[in-house]
Amino acid sequence: MEANELKAVTVDKTVDARGTACPGPLLAAKKEIANISSGQVMEVLSADEGTKRDIPKWAQKKGHDYMGVIEEDGYFRIYLKKG
Amino acid sequence: MAQKMTMALFSGSVDKLTAAGVILSGAAADDMDVDIYVLLMGARAFKKENIGEQGSMAELPHLKDEFFASLERLKVNTWVQFFKEAKEMTNVKIHICGLAGKIWGGEKLEDFNELADDICGIGEYITSAQEADVHLFI
Repeated sequence: MEANELKAVTVDKTVDARGTACPGPLLAAKKEIANISSGQVMEVLSADEGTKRDIPKWAQKKGHDYMGVIEEDGYFRIYLKKG
Repeated sequence: MAQKMTMALFSGSVDKLTAAGVILSGAAADDMDVDIYVLLMGARAFKKENIGEQGSMAELPHLKDEFFASLERLKVNTWVQFFKEAKEMTNVKIHICGLAGKIWGGEKLEDFNELADDICGIGEYITSAQEADVHLFI
């Protein structure tokens, strides 16, 4: 999805992992996605460049839908829909 | 059925233990079953009395202070925290090699920290490595 479409998405859970380096954001995503239901949307905030590639690959393997990423000033918003 | 990772953890140096912890975290995020076989030098780090020890570095030992300062600045877990967290997230078993334990004065499971699950022989490691989807030696 494009950034303008992602901005319109209703987010059910936000995980702020900006304070951690790899593998912190991935572990935070893994933990927190357990707390939402299938079809709900989670956004992961990360300032770690590697996370922007890591989480989409992890999501694909785990059966979640990677929706896209928005690059903010100094961090990323990564959007996932739980499978 | 979950994929399986087998790791031979030979090193007891803090840089390699941290690397092992990062890799273990990735395996935990992937819901892999993990068997870690702690061999020779690694077993010393798992001795109960050594758990808080900062330890030595195998690579670039003269930059140890810089390494630790960066880990702190980046809020990176200690290797023990990585291992604990991974054990909470997925099926991780940590086996201490019987010979390695004895070398460092550890005869029984209670001589090691709470991360250790059992003491084993080398045949079990070989079997686990043969069955693994991912096999690492650190």
